Amino acid sequence: MRPKFHMQYPLRTIIHTASMFTVLTAAALFIACGERDDETLTIYSGRSEDLIAPLLDRFAEETDTKVQVRYADSVELALLIREEGEQSPTDVFISQSPGPIAFLAELRLLRALSEDVLDLAPHSDGRQWVAITGRQRVLVYNRDQIAADDLPASIFELTEPQWEGRIGFAPSNGSFQDFVTLFRMDHGDDMALDWLQGLVANGAQTYGNNNAIVQAVARSEIDAGLVNHYYNERLKVENPNTPSANHRFADGDPGAVMIATAASALSSGDQELAEQFIRFLLEAESQRYFAEETLEYPLAAGVKPAAGIEAPATIDFGTFDALGGGLERTLELIREAGLDI
Amino acid sequence: MRPDSTSDLAVTVADPSSPPRREQVLARRAPISLVAASVVTAMVFAIPFGYLVVRNLSADAALLSAVASRQTLDPLIRTLWLAISVSLTATLIGTLLAWITMRTDLPGRTFWRIACPLPLVLPSFVAGAAMLAAYAPGGLLEQLLSPFGVSGLPRIDGYPGAFMVLTSITYPYVYLPVAARLASLPPSLEEAARLLGHRPIPTFRRVVWPQLLPASRAGGLLTFLYVVSDFGVVQLMGFQTLTTRIFTTRLVDTSLSFALGLVLAIVALVIVMSERLASRDVAIAAGEPARRPVVIPLGRWRPAALLALIGSVGIGLIAPVIVLSWWAYRGLVNEAAGFASTEGMTALIEPTWNTVSVSVAAAVVSVALVLPVAFLTARYRSPFAGPLNAVVVAGFALPGLVIALSMVFMALRVPALSALYQTLPLLLLAYVIHFGAQAYRSAQVGVGAVDERLGEAARTLGAGRLRRLWRVELPLMLPPLAAGGGLVMLSTMKELPATLLAAPLGFDTLATRIWTANEGGFLADAGMASLVLIAVSALLTWLLVIRRADHLR
Repeated sequence: MRPKFHMQYPLRTIIHTASMFTVLTAAALFIACGERDDETLTIYSGRSEDLIAPLLDRFAEETDTKVQVRYADSVELALLIREEGEQSPTDVFISQSPGPIAFLAELRLLRALSEDVLDLAPHSDGRQWVAITGRQRVLVYNRDQIAADDLPASIFELTEPQWEGRIGFAPSNGSFQDFVTLFRMDHGDDMALDWLQGLVANGAQTYGNNNAIVQAVARSEIDAGLVNHYYNERLKVENPNTPSANHRFADGDPGAVMIATAASALSSGDQELAEQFIRFLLEAESQRYFAEETLEYPLAAGVKPAAGIEAPATIDFGTFDALGGGLERTLELIREAGLDI
Repeated sequence: MRPDSTSDLAVTVADPSSPPRREQVLARRAPISLVAASVVTAMVFAIPFGYLVVRNLSADAALLSAVASRQTLDPLIRTLWLAISVSLTATLIGTLLAWITMRTDLPGRTFWRIACPLPLVLPSFVAGAAMLAAYAPGGLLEQLLSPFGVSGLPRIDGYPGAFMVLTSITYPYVYLPVAARLASLPPSLEEAARLLGHRPIPTFRRVVWPQLLPASRAGGLLTFLYVVSDFGVVQLMGFQTLTTRIFTTRLVDTSLSFALGLVLAIVALVIVMSERLASRDVAIAAGEPARRPVVIPLGRWRPAALLALIGSVGIGLIAPVIVLSWWAYRGLVNEAAGFASTEGMTALIEPTWNTVSVSVAAAVVSVALVLPVAFLTARYRSPFAGPLNAVVVAGFALPGLVIALSMVFMALRVPALSALYQTLPLLLLAYVIHFGAQAYRSAQVGVGAVDERLGEAARTLGAGRLRRLWRVELPLMLPPLAAGGGLVMLSTMKELPATLLAAPLGFDTLATRIWTANEGGFLADAGMASLVLIAVSALLTWLLVIRRADHLR
């Protein structure tokens, strides 16, 4: 096929035609994508799709609402909402930890939740968010390398000689930092710094994230690591033969805190719809989904954790609101302990 | 620019039999329309830089203190060290593999030509996780070797880990442009050298290598910029670079994070500009590419060549594929693990289609958009050339998060664009800005390799500018353009931050599926989606890149 061009076809005409074409395409796409009816619930979810999508489908069906979701990292979603400001199309923001929500609260982009929603589950004093599930900090260990009797009751033991070079942790990871923040709030900065320095001096190995630690423990690269309980529960489903297991520190130990995943309502969004959805997340059936399917700690409607997931005597969330503002000081402490993050 | 570039004009003009020297070519003024089109393109590419500047102006003056502190300098030095070492190694490997697959009688060349570019398509975090599972202590390799008494492999982390993973997923940035250059290189040179009695290695060193240099350097620069922008691998390996610093501070100290982003942008611009200044002009051999390519018998070198290929492709592709298959297999045999919240494989159909359509569209739009700039900078002398080149190329070094946020910023503040917010055109624009550099550098090599006398001849025959472009120049430039488009395509297929933040709501790609599955520890899902991604990219690479280039031979 021979393309035919007029010999003196001026470049200008081509550029004009091309730009016209672009504008028209853009316009067409805008019309196609731009429609948005009023009964649409828009969610920015820091929880990954596999851990919430079935609930969203059920909510859409039961309430006859259109639900649209953006899944991404909680911190990045918070930055996106900051950039969007009052123009944000979002009604609800679900975060894997309270930090990103506190960041938005400081920018006054969140709506205070109603009392009847807050009453359903643990929540922030500032009324900006309510917890929907909990993830407990645990020690994941390799059963072939550590006998159950030798497991530590407290994280303070991890700085002792018998654990030299055997522990992995993820200083750049958000949930480790949340744990350090709660540790600081309950026991003071000095004690937290001492512990961090002791851990480093004891040859603890650093990793990029929880998954990397659990995998490293499973293949015996290290004997144990500080993680959220969720990751090894998930690995057990993927690979029932894994030699890795979770160990809970004693109740009241700084290592046994719970990290909340939380929901909040955007001030630019539809409050009524947002709260209807958050209430739905805290209903017994939804909480049972979190307990049985995502293997987390349910926090409302009296639902119990799944079989095999050991429940603490009381759920210790530490000082809730600390998890927003305290992060900067936590990062300083982690650096002071000689860790490069 | 080059102040002395006109001094030897008389000599070259006086000798019409010599190939056109770049100096001579550069002496000509660019047509106004070309300059205008290039400037418009560059303005589009400047959006993320403008965004960083605005964000730094509106914040308190954190920039100066950020630049001066050790907390910036140390990671900056580590970033540069990693980027330099990875890009040099990747240039070596990429060039060598391209020569072996394009010029020798190695068995299974078609397979290798498809396999060699593929490691590029693995998202950093998947490549990293899969390689850890393969090579770390207690991993696949150690289990395979344990019957032979091998144990106690070293832990993979820090600089060595980041170096290994990044090198094995970035060498395709060099491989594709160099292979494309080899495809369009006139064989007369090599044949002449051999007739004059040169053996293959001296022939390569003295005749072929100088011709590959522009393509190989272009790829090396892309590798450098990719490493500077990477977050997934360095984060997983615990190697602190400027990017990890940007990520740790992005929530607690947003203004410092933006200041560091600007530092990174400035470093990238400086590197790109110095690379252009430092580049020596080579007399590019242009001519009709061979109908029948040169084939060099490897002889006793055959095992070594095969080993080089198996080694490189093995580390970057085959071992990760084995690990990913193992994860996916566990999902297939164990119902609880496999494809939990999805309806199995059918859930991957839509993301696959989305991936294919956006990545091909991003490739085509990128090539079309950067072509005027490539013509301007490779062929004409213009005061705009240096800055245009820098803006288009340096955008590749910015973290995807910055690109995504700059799109949001622009769309919500420019009234005419707010309608485009969270639509496909805007996502496409983000891809083009982020990855256009890859198409651009290849296009530049392509433009440089077209003998201008052909165009002149066509002009004397009365062909207009567009007709010359369409009928004479584009066909000759097809291999490098396809290679550049191929790089954009593969990069778009794995892109995450911009896709996650700027895509239309509910728009899933394979990369976002892999990410979400990996985040939740759904290894079987992540493995299966990764395998589909690799398969689809292999198919597209073959259809759109390899066949395009082979077509001419």
